[in-house]
Amino acid sequence: MRAEPAHPPAPGAAAGPSWRRWLLRYEVLLLLVLVVEWLLFYHFGTSVNRRGVTVGFGTLDRQFDILRHSCEIGLLALALTPVILTGGIDLSVGSLLGLCAVVFGGLTHALGLPLPVAAALTLVVGAVAGGLNAGLICQLRLPPLIVTLGTYSLFRGLAEAFTRGSVTYSDFPAGFLVLGQGRWGGLPVQAWLFLAVAVSVWIWIHRTVAGRACRVIGFAPEGARFAGIGVRGQLTAAYVAAGVIAALAALIYTSRLGQAKADAGLGYELFAITAVVLGGTSIFGGRGTVTGTLLGVAAIAVLKNGLATLPVVMRLNAAEELAGLLTGALLLAALAAGKLAERLRLSSVTG
Amino acid sequence: MSERPLLAFRRITKSFGAVRALRGVDLEVRAGEVHALLGENGAGKSTLIKVATGAHAPDSGVIELAGETLERLDPALARRRGIACIYQQPALFPELSVAENLALRLEPAAGWRRVAWAERHRVALALLARIGAEIDPGREVGTLSMPEQQLVEIASAIGAGARVVIMDEPTASLTRREQERLFGIVNALRREGVAVIYISHRLEEILALADRVTVLRDGQSVASRLRAEVDEATLIRLMVGRDVAQLYPPSESAPGAVRLALRGLCCRSAGGRPVSFEVRAGEVYGLAGLVGAGRTELARTLFGLTPADAGELWIDGERVTIGSPQAAIAHGIAYVPEDRRRHGVVLELPIEQNVSLAAWRRLFPLGWLRRDRERSEAREFVRALAIRTPDTETATANLSGGNQQKVALARWLATRPRVLLLDEPTQGVDVGAKSEIHRLVRRFAAEGMAVVLISSDLPEILGMSDRIGVMRGGELAAELPGGAGATQVMSAALGQPVEGTAA
Repeated sequence: MRAEPAHPPAPGAAAGPSWRRWLLRYEVLLLLVLVVEWLLFYHFGTSVNRRGVTVGFGTLDRQFDILRHSCEIGLLALALTPVILTGGIDLSVGSLLGLCAVVFGGLTHALGLPLPVAAALTLVVGAVAGGLNAGLICQLRLPPLIVTLGTYSLFRGLAEAFTRGSVTYSDFPAGFLVLGQGRWGGLPVQAWLFLAVAVSVWIWIHRTVAGRACRVIGFAPEGARFAGIGVRGQLTAAYVAAGVIAALAALIYTSRLGQAKADAGLGYELFAITAVVLGGTSIFGGRGTVTGTLLGVAAIAVLKNGLATLPVVMRLNAAEELAGLLTGALLLAALAAGKLAERLRLSSVTG
Repeated sequence: MSERPLLAFRRITKSFGAVRALRGVDLEVRAGEVHALLGENGAGKSTLIKVATGAHAPDSGVIELAGETLERLDPALARRRGIACIYQQPALFPELSVAENLALRLEPAAGWRRVAWAERHRVALALLARIGAEIDPGREVGTLSMPEQQLVEIASAIGAGARVVIMDEPTASLTRREQERLFGIVNALRREGVAVIYISHRLEEILALADRVTVLRDGQSVASRLRAEVDEATLIRLMVGRDVAQLYPPSESAPGAVRLALRGLCCRSAGGRPVSFEVRAGEVYGLAGLVGAGRTELARTLFGLTPADAGELWIDGERVTIGSPQAAIAHGIAYVPEDRRRHGVVLELPIEQNVSLAAWRRLFPLGWLRRDRERSEAREFVRALAIRTPDTETATANLSGGNQQKVALARWLATRPRVLLLDEPTQGVDVGAKSEIHRLVRRFAAEGMAVVLISSDLPEILGMSDRIGVMRGGELAAELPGGAGATQVMSAALGQPVEGTAA
């Protein structure tokens, strides 16, 4: 016999006026932060130079720049969302981006393969690398943190070995550079790719049983097995997809900069994890949304780029440092506000 | 026994979200009495304890200790004022020794001072001796058995000079001898003038121990009576608010064709031994046996969690191999596991998502979620199984144990199973929900399922089974007809010759 269970207040259990619940949703709060951020930068970061041309934050070029710069980290954040929902983590995506970049460079330059073939093979490399993570995690039951910490070093090391630490592949044909530098339908080309991946991941997570499975595994891995969910299959899908998306990010990165080097995407995994967590996904798994991740990516990207347009920051020449500092502060503030909002949401029922 | 209450709760209310756990509870406990607290799961017992120990602040109402109102009670203050709680699962540090655990509770928390190891050891020894526990204070708590850890908890309560000791289902995991020793300790506490609040589902225990009984129902105290004024039937009536007409519903249907047949089936790699039996459609096959007899292991093999590597399994005259839970579901086998909170339901998910969890293939063709179908399916089960909840979006954690168990049942009924394996389906479930579950099991059988009922509750096995298989040491020791007596089942389980019936 067991004691009766406690009644922990569970989020989502709250009733009350629906507009108030909606307003106190984490994603809505984050959207508000994003809008305020944007308006502040628009106000303080835009100016008119001596020739009467508008410069700074409030220009379309700058907005496209933000979009271009956030695509790669945004893709990694999308790749990480399902993984983190299962209660796992993938630290290797940034290194994999680097490995895929030099693999692509090697395939096109050293082997002279046609671009589409090389790109397809790069995506396969991403899938295999994700499969390696999944295999170690599912078959050997090693913790994801340790496995991907290992492959984090392994993939970067392979990339360095490939290029002997010095080779940089450049001189890509113009047709390829369009991917990262051109526009299509008024938007940067990679924005369309990003949108396609975002919609796919959103459908996966929010509209299919596979996404539901990720959530259940995140909440209760044992419970998922007892409910007849193929835990290994679902985890493998999440890590392999992460690998493929990281490879796609590598192609976009290479195209945007016009060069492939072993240090591509260095440290990106941490930005991506920050964006996912800022987006409201629980690092313990189960809770989180793709919309939240997108907002998290946007909030960080606007902050980082917007700061560089502020006159005071330009005088200090400290945009990078300030961006890191404020991103950290934003993450902690958002997490605290999320907790407070949860309490408010519950008290709107009891009080 | 003095007349003035030592600890009194007056009109306590407490809500969690939409769930009103306590709706005006009155309880008076006197010094030197054993006061039993009784109620179905979800009646509010746990919440009331948490209010008493300061873990939850009541929304309204007053707590008085020795006539003095306690404002802003928190766990530290409650302990200082002499309110101690012995939980079912002892809350000790497993890596520390018994003496260290006691010292953490009893010694003042000073920053820098030398540890008086000898003194610690002596104090621990004295406390343990006072309750008649023969435990070496130097032993690591993790190496103690559950009842031994419980004794350490009691020793720490006494050492802290507790005036009120709350015991939450203290005998749940104890053997008979350990129970008797515990009763001795409870009696000793009573003689020392301690007020004991005693919570248990076992009525015979309460009737043997308590001086006074308070019954909670739906978050309210419905009655507070002296032991002499009540008997078992009265208590059950007070708990459920109605007479439990008949404890076990009769078998409704004649068994049909053989649905499930095991021929020497086992998972050798998990230490299983070959088992053979048959269950017909419409039949409830009880699996009895002592804890560790291999019943749960057999169920896990049938469900593909530890796939069989020897023997044959036949369903509806067709030989099948079950290599995974997915395969089991595809062949119409459903398994409601023993550990409800870890395996039976996903507490964080809404009821509707728990209900649909095993029936994705039927409800969501092509893997596309259909919220409307999910919700209407869940609503149907909430109605059919009388799950008490405001709606199907409520997190399953907010339900009482019995209602959680019904959600676990609903999940497997949604797969439209042919074979239903029930592992301790009424464990930790209150009296009312228990008989509801029994009626449901009968109904499932009448609908044509082959039901395998694993239970350690002997009356349940005897009352519910059309036939009884008794397991011992991983093997089927005996097969008895439904009308078998308790002694026959017990002797088979213990490896004694069974009189009267051939195995």
